[in-house]
Amino acid sequence: MVKRFAIALLAATCLVGAAAGEGLPEGDEIARRINARDDGNSAQRTLEMELIDRSGHSRKRSARLLRRWFGQEKRLALFYLSPATIKDTAFLVHDFPEPGKDDAQWLYLPALRKVRRIAARDRGKNFLGTDMSYEDMKNETKVSAEDHRWTTLGEEACSETTCLVVEAVPIDEETTRAVGYGKVTYWVDPEVWIARRAEYVDAAGRPKKSALVSEIRQVDGIWTAHHIEVRSHKNGHRTVFRISEVDYATEIDPDLFTERSLRRGVR
Amino acid sequence: MQGGWRRARAVGLAATGVWLAVASTAVEPPELSIVVDSEWALGLRGPHSQKLEIVAQPELHWGLGTNTRLTAIGRLRADAFDRIEPGHPRATEVSSLSRRGSAGDHVDFELREFFVETQWGRTWFTLGKQQIVWGQADGLKVLDVVNPQDFREFILDDFDDSRIPLWAMNAEVPIGEATLQLLWLPDPSYHELPEPDATFAFTAPRFLPPQVPGLLASLEPTNRPRRLLADSDAGVRLAAFVGGFDVSLNYLYHIDNRPIFEGQRGTSPLGPTVTFTPRYRRTHLLGGTFSNAFGDLTVRGEVGWTSDRRLSVEDPSDADLVGRTGELAYVLGLDWFGFQDTLLSFQVFQSWLLRDETGWLRDRLDTNLTFLARRELWNERLRVEGIWIHNTNDGDGLLRPKLSFELRDGLTLWAGLDIFYGRSHGAFGEFDGRDRAVMGMEWGW
Repeated sequence: MVKRFAIALLAATCLVGAAAGEGLPEGDEIARRINARDDGNSAQRTLEMELIDRSGHSRKRSARLLRRWFGQEKRLALFYLSPATIKDTAFLVHDFPEPGKDDAQWLYLPALRKVRRIAARDRGKNFLGTDMSYEDMKNETKVSAEDHRWTTLGEEACSETTCLVVEAVPIDEETTRAVGYGKVTYWVDPEVWIARRAEYVDAAGRPKKSALVSEIRQVDGIWTAHHIEVRSHKNGHRTVFRISEVDYATEIDPDLFTERSLRRGVR
Repeated sequence: MQGGWRRARAVGLAATGVWLAVASTAVEPPELSIVVDSEWALGLRGPHSQKLEIVAQPELHWGLGTNTRLTAIGRLRADAFDRIEPGHPRATEVSSLSRRGSAGDHVDFELREFFVETQWGRTWFTLGKQQIVWGQADGLKVLDVVNPQDFREFILDDFDDSRIPLWAMNAEVPIGEATLQLLWLPDPSYHELPEPDATFAFTAPRFLPPQVPGLLASLEPTNRPRRLLADSDAGVRLAAFVGGFDVSLNYLYHIDNRPIFEGQRGTSPLGPTVTFTPRYRRTHLLGGTFSNAFGDLTVRGEVGWTSDRRLSVEDPSDADLVGRTGELAYVLGLDWFGFQDTLLSFQVFQSWLLRDETGWLRDRLDTNLTFLARRELWNERLRVEGIWIHNTNDGDGLLRPKLSFELRDGLTLWAGLDIFYGRSHGAFGEFDGRDRAVMGMEWGW
């Protein structure tokens, strides 16, 4: 009796799953479409970050965020502009296209006046006190497609549109450890191929953090998110990112993505 | 010679004025910020306060067009007790152009940095008073000797604050993915050493004139080089990212920042004498650095060979009581990021005198170990850290636990301990009686 019930339940689950994904793009295709979204050869924008703890206490930082493609290699540089106590802190990442090759990351600490090479293996750790991870910062609303198994779950209403719901599970334990979560579910807007919402759970299945992406509009013909809020469920902390002064049209000097430019900063 | 310096200063100021006038056709609004630090250090062996100081550091950045900008950083420091450097330190080791000014015994002020950065082609020039930092080590130095250091608080001050900025020409020339840095430093300034009545005055034998039984010793004033061109330093650094490694090759043709007590023998009615004159001698420094990340581990290192290191010797048969040798020094550091929000860092520093000589006031091979543990909590609002430096030769060292809390935007409170241990002949042990509790705040806007 129990065996029959289990078989029936399994069949029903498969049917529901099939119905949920029927006619919708496969998970891998959704990931591919997200990453195929035009983001320009280079981008520069100002990032206002508000870090808010459980009790509502808020700290603000502003930074200039630059990105440029060098062939298949992506380079990202972030320069803090305020407050005065952390101004001139700068971060640089070279994201290599070769699978399995760790990124190279550098941090410039003005108190030491030295550029420090930092380990890039632990991609899931929080980025300089925010609730975004180093991986999130580097991906800029795109995804690490090859590090996950993608499954389309269905469609749901989100942000006055209908989103594709897709689940991404790290491909192995090492990746799970590196990215710091066990599963993430994205609500992807198929009009712009940006995830408007993401829910992360840890390896034990407990809620880890949520991200809400809004104010998506075109700049220089490129869909761009201007507001991102990431909330950590572990400690109630959240970070609000406001993106402004976005510019895809102006070519960025490639020398800005070097160790020497971290010391010099941008004004 | 002072006249020469005055002329150089006049020329420098005139050039800067002309530069500003020419470049100011597209001036952007100046950007001004200020950081105020206050710190109270309470001696644990007194107990009495070592200092209660407030330091204001205004900083101006002024864009003069797309590729040129001016930076000016000042410092005003006031101390309620005047025990760190009692009275008005003469600071004769530092050139008059770079020396601090004072307003009484409790207040000093300084134009810390003043430079123009400009780009010609892909080359960046930085002209003016500046800090130039080489090397990969933390806490102790091998290649980070381009700028001299103010030892008013031994090595307890942040190097950013204790480094003495120099007037220099600094060119960074990109060569493919590499950078060639060319330096010219016509500023004859050297380590500023505390006077004998200062809280952190050096008392270990290696920092003092040698004591030779039977010789009556006297000390002449320091003989500091003063010639603008002949006594200037020059350096070159080639840095690149090769095969995943950050590497650099460094060369500095410089006058050693540490004075050496050169003795001159004589006789007097009371017996044989020796007169010591502290002098600065030229040397070559050749070295390199590397760093790379392997998983959660970062490996970094630097090595430096000094061609002519001069050290005091307590050997009665040595005419000037100075020994000469080459020196090989290196640092190997491991930074481990394996725990969330935690850094564990270990370094080994070794300095090896290439020639053996009777009467060295230090061991031929000198080893320092450092360990740093740092953990960030509450989204980097709270930082807990401990630094331990230990010299294996003398068995002395320094422990520095510290707690920092970011109370609100731009306002950080902190408290810690500076604990020295070991015997009085060691570089750290000599300050065993200077242990202190410190607390302070940093406020920036």
